[in-house]
Amino acid sequence: MNIIEIKSLHKTYDDDSVPVHAVNGVDLNVEEGEFTAIVGPSGSGKTTLLNIIGGLDDATKGSVTIDSTNITELSSRKLTNFRMANIGFVFQAYNLIPVLTAKENVEFIMHLQGRDKHDRESRASELLQAVGLGEMMDRRPSKLSGGQQQRVAVARALASKPKFVLADEPTANLDSKSTENLLNIMQQLNKDENITFIFSTHDQRVVNKARRVITLEDGKIINDINKELL
Amino acid sequence: MFTNFKLAWRNIWRNRRRTFIAISSVIFSVLLASWMRSMQEGSYTSMVDNVVKFYSGYLQVQDTAFWEERTLDNGFAAPKGLKTNIEKIGQVTLVSGRVESFALAANEMRSKPAMVMGIEPEAEDQITAISKKIKKGEFLETGDKSVVLGKGLAKYLNLDVGDTLIMIGQGYHGISANGLFPVKGIMQHPNQEFDKRLVFMDIENARDFYSAYGISTSLVVMADNSYAVNQLKTEIASILPPRNTVMTWIDMQPEIEQLIESDRGSGLIMLGILYLVIAFGMFSVVMMMVKERKREFGVIHAVGMKKSKISIIIFFETILIGLIGCAIGLLISYLFCAYFYDNPIPLTGEMAKATAQYGMEPYMFFSLKSSLFYSQMILVFFISMFISIFPILNIQKLKITKAMRG
Repeated sequence: MNIIEIKSLHKTYDDDSVPVHAVNGVDLNVEEGEFTAIVGPSGSGKTTLLNIIGGLDDATKGSVTIDSTNITELSSRKLTNFRMANIGFVFQAYNLIPVLTAKENVEFIMHLQGRDKHDRESRASELLQAVGLGEMMDRRPSKLSGGQQQRVAVARALASKPKFVLADEPTANLDSKSTENLLNIMQQLNKDENITFIFSTHDQRVVNKARRVITLEDGKIINDINKELL
Repeated sequence: MFTNFKLAWRNIWRNRRRTFIAISSVIFSVLLASWMRSMQEGSYTSMVDNVVKFYSGYLQVQDTAFWEERTLDNGFAAPKGLKTNIEKIGQVTLVSGRVESFALAANEMRSKPAMVMGIEPEAEDQITAISKKIKKGEFLETGDKSVVLGKGLAKYLNLDVGDTLIMIGQGYHGISANGLFPVKGIMQHPNQEFDKRLVFMDIENARDFYSAYGISTSLVVMADNSYAVNQLKTEIASILPPRNTVMTWIDMQPEIEQLIESDRGSGLIMLGILYLVIAFGMFSVVMMMVKERKREFGVIHAVGMKKSKISIIIFFETILIGLIGCAIGLLISYLFCAYFYDNPIPLTGEMAKATAQYGMEPYMFFSLKSSLFYSQMILVFFISMFISIFPILNIQKLKITKAMRG
């Protein structure tokens, strides 16, 4: 079952004198439970595509339908609510809230959703245990290593029980051990809880773990390999 | 809301040094502002106090025609019990009758128009402290038939204690008034014009002299403080007979009030400049806080926090910086002002001499009027609210992808 359906997606930046077609007619479907990597050289449009799928950026043309909702037609306010309820984000630079502890960072989205305290706390604990940070829940980001922070970011992304998680270069700032650790956790969550992960990455280790690899170049999909089918 | 507040509270302590600097600037400004205002208001209170003790009292009950035409014929016979009823009003500390008129004061060689004040010696002394101004001889007592002269008048008439003053004038409703009065004391009035013209005598002695039996030209009313006069005016007016009116010191000497208002106005301009400085300081800190967290705002908006909620957090942060600074500033300034309220700063040198010459105490006084302090709090709150508009506008324009790139 497709949870994401992208049709004729275009994104053109007109800021400079020459228009830049960051995404140039992408058609793509993503099924529930996929573990997909979007790869390509710098400037190929990976991050732009991910941003549009996540409702963080507008498309110039085309549509992105998530679970029967065309998000390109939503107002800014509705889009914010939609993102909160349906999409989890993991960013390259972790981007945790520095004044909150690991647990509070995970609870943050649930708080925005208006979930009760008990529910928030138990879910945050459960997720942090799942990413191996059960002992470090009360530490602030500055007291955690990069790998640990990224694991908190994964837990945060999953807190709202999203339909899928978008991860933009999640391993770019991590050493190999942390990368391995993080990928294993995400793979495990994908396997055990059928959570859909979509990565944009340059990292071969991520590509190796992904079951589907989509290659972008100049804003177009030039290759889409499903390893399982191979 | 609590979480927003908690986030704001933690956010302001992210860069402690910067927050301390911002808070300190608010503290010092509030300290300066409230100190300045306290000193200003203290000096006004002292000025008013001196003015009312100089002559008018805080309020006067008069015949309705007296203030326009200040003659003895416009005096009034106070109904029995009026004085007592006024004294019963809360905040009234003293009521004293006066008979004021004019006469020609003379010795065997020279004469001069004089201002005759028939007073209740003990009560009047509590108002104008004449006994402290006696330079020679003694002050009057109730029932005295003698007089106390201003030093200038005594000098002009070449009179000394024990000598006799001749007075000729017009009494109540045209009756002629003549009398010989032994000089009991010579006083120095701070106002030179008064000093050259004043003759004090016991009120009954004055009534005898002017044949104005039972008549007063005014009842002088003293109160706890100058702030109560308007309320007292209403209360006193409600118990007066129709032919009487009550006037406050402001009604009688509007120029003093105008002087205070204009000085207060210039003080407020200074205060405005001071608060403009605070506003700019706070503005720059808050804008810095917002600019450096642009990426973070992008992220929290991306994960689902609405811009309105982000704005609330920034609003709380701005208000917190303002109010923490203001609260500490007010506490310190209150302690300062309270100390100087009890221990006014003595003036020295020429300034002290000049002040004393005008019959005022040579001190710099402070006020502890509560509005001086809570108005600072309200002002800082509104400044903070105003400042928070700018970062909030910034947040409304936030573009997630741009913010996260920054």
